[in-house]
Amino acid sequence: MKLLIANRGEIALRIIRTCRKLGIQTVLAYSDPDRESLPMYYADEKYPLEGASPLETYLNIPKLIRAAKQTGCDAVHPGYGFLAEDAAFVAACEENHLVFIGPSSKALEKLENKLIARATMRAANVPLIPGSEHPVRSEEEAIDIASKIGFPVILKAVYGGGGRGMRIARTLEEVRRFFRVTRLESLSAFGREEVYVEKRLTDPRHVEIQAIADKRGQVISLGERECSIQGRHQKLLQEAPSVAVGDDLRQRLNEAAKRGLAASEYTNAGTVEFLLDSSGKFYFLEVNKRLQVEHLVTELTTGIDLVEEQLKIAPGSGLDISQNEVHTTGWAINCRINAEDPRRGFVPSPGTVVRYQPPAGPSIRVDSALFSGYSVPEQYDSMVAKLASWGRNRAEAIQRMKVALEEIEISGVPTTIPLHHILMSDNRFIQGDFHTNYLNEMLPSMNSYVARLEEFAVVAAAIGKTANPTRFPNQQTMSQGARWRAYARTTLMTHQR
Amino acid sequence: MLRTYRIQVDDRSYVVSVEPVRKDRFRVKLHDKVFEIESVTAEENPYWIVKFGETTVRARTRIMSNDRVDVYLAGLPFTTSLLPVGPKGYAPPAQKGISGEIHALMPGRITSILVKEGDEVQAGGPLLILEAMKMQNEITSPVSGHVKSIRVKEGNIVKKDSILILVE
Repeated sequence: MKLLIANRGEIALRIIRTCRKLGIQTVLAYSDPDRESLPMYYADEKYPLEGASPLETYLNIPKLIRAAKQTGCDAVHPGYGFLAEDAAFVAACEENHLVFIGPSSKALEKLENKLIARATMRAANVPLIPGSEHPVRSEEEAIDIASKIGFPVILKAVYGGGGRGMRIARTLEEVRRFFRVTRLESLSAFGREEVYVEKRLTDPRHVEIQAIADKRGQVISLGERECSIQGRHQKLLQEAPSVAVGDDLRQRLNEAAKRGLAASEYTNAGTVEFLLDSSGKFYFLEVNKRLQVEHLVTELTTGIDLVEEQLKIAPGSGLDISQNEVHTTGWAINCRINAEDPRRGFVPSPGTVVRYQPPAGPSIRVDSALFSGYSVPEQYDSMVAKLASWGRNRAEAIQRMKVALEEIEISGVPTTIPLHHILMSDNRFIQGDFHTNYLNEMLPSMNSYVARLEEFAVVAAAIGKTANPTRFPNQQTMSQGARWRAYARTTLMTHQR
Repeated sequence: MLRTYRIQVDDRSYVVSVEPVRKDRFRVKLHDKVFEIESVTAEENPYWIVKFGETTVRARTRIMSNDRVDVYLAGLPFTTSLLPVGPKGYAPPAQKGISGEIHALMPGRITSILVKEGDEVQAGGPLLILEAMKMQNEITSPVSGHVKSIRVKEGNIVKKDSILILVE
């Protein structure tokens, strides 16, 4: 197999690592801003996509197919995001005799968009959340449906995924306001503007089943993940297993997930997402028809390399593990670290990482393409690192994560690290008592934590200034004489008793 | 020797006194709190271990200009401006009102402008949509007033901090 990687950043690097282990040749398709990026160091070959915007590069099907053909690839891994769940891309791969590492176009048709997926699941007797069965065409229609099913509602991009293209509306006015924004966001992110309306459950948990299905009809579950810690509809912290799932519920979730995937004639790695209410009832949310950001927690609890399984079964081989051979051990937690500013409502904040130092230690895993001096591009997703820990139990995984969060250094851009610091010491999080809205409830304590950090920052600023009163190392403007005087002054200052 | 600074972060002001204790050790007073600081590197952007009570925070500093020091800690950057304070005390910081100048919080592309010049807007009302890192960010007005001028067009790529709209 020779594999084209149609993605970037940490997931491109993640895939390359498994390929290097298996001796599979890799070709990395890259955009202009990604010319200097870590996966470029490890891919066997590189193919320039020329351009910066996603539409010119990682969303450009003809360019990617050309890249695969010209470099003699026979398979394509889409990673996640971009074209990972794009039926046209899968079809283009199939037409060009390229093995797509993911579901077949037949399975994608049965799950083509959120509305079709709901119909497929309804037929497979998987419980659904109340909502519209057709795309909503106008503000008026959206308002009409929202009034019928009751507030709050979620406006969702029919073709959306990965937490993008979704807005919660609590009033008629908000439905009107967000309808346009959601359509625009959907158009820009997914190339389609259709939106539908779904009921928003009150404070549910988000649990999901990671499954793998081979082309011979075998579907196995690798257990659940708990992804209730969310902000801006994005999973910020994920764990496996879930404190809310006992053996009986786990079995029912596994069965519903397998039933849904079988009905979709699904193949390769996939995740069935559910919302779980406080009474233990669960509802189908969506199928993620790809590898997921949080797949690493499942890898840590099962010991299975999901990318390796994906690559093995994509050409048609059967799974070489059976359901009985899947054993989960201990507990894993993943913190998603985004270049976003928690002080300003988590706005994406691209910029240069002055210094990066990853943590390490027993059962710590970091998936990242960061390095000191890396410039986080503004064109793409804000995720810069995934920091995961494993422990024999949840308490140990939390302890290890706490230490790792203190150790990781990402200097230069604002990140979501403070949020994870807070979570690791938060009583409700430690007790497992939280839901998908919990992060919003926690924001006041995060703000006071950040205010305390600012005191440490001004103290450090005063010291930094005192230690180097006239030295501007980052500007290189000082004359030799001035440097001499600065050195003398610093020495006097710091050596004085 | 004691050095005192007035340090500004956004619109917040702090008075900080630094006292060297011995080589690589300092004591810093911030209002009524005393922090203990240890230096562990001598590289271009030095690294500091800052202790207050039970809490230890590790920080890196970067001197950007005569009066600006950037600090990185716990995954956050802080931009600080420093003024040395003499024995005669310091001038209180100028009161800054909320401005109706709307700046780009991040670099990105203007996908949609929702108002025209002369429109009346309420504080919190939507002005335009700025796309950055795949997200559509609704930019709202910090003040109530009229749209005085719009400095961008739909489709424009804007730099961080550039002025987008003036509301008066």
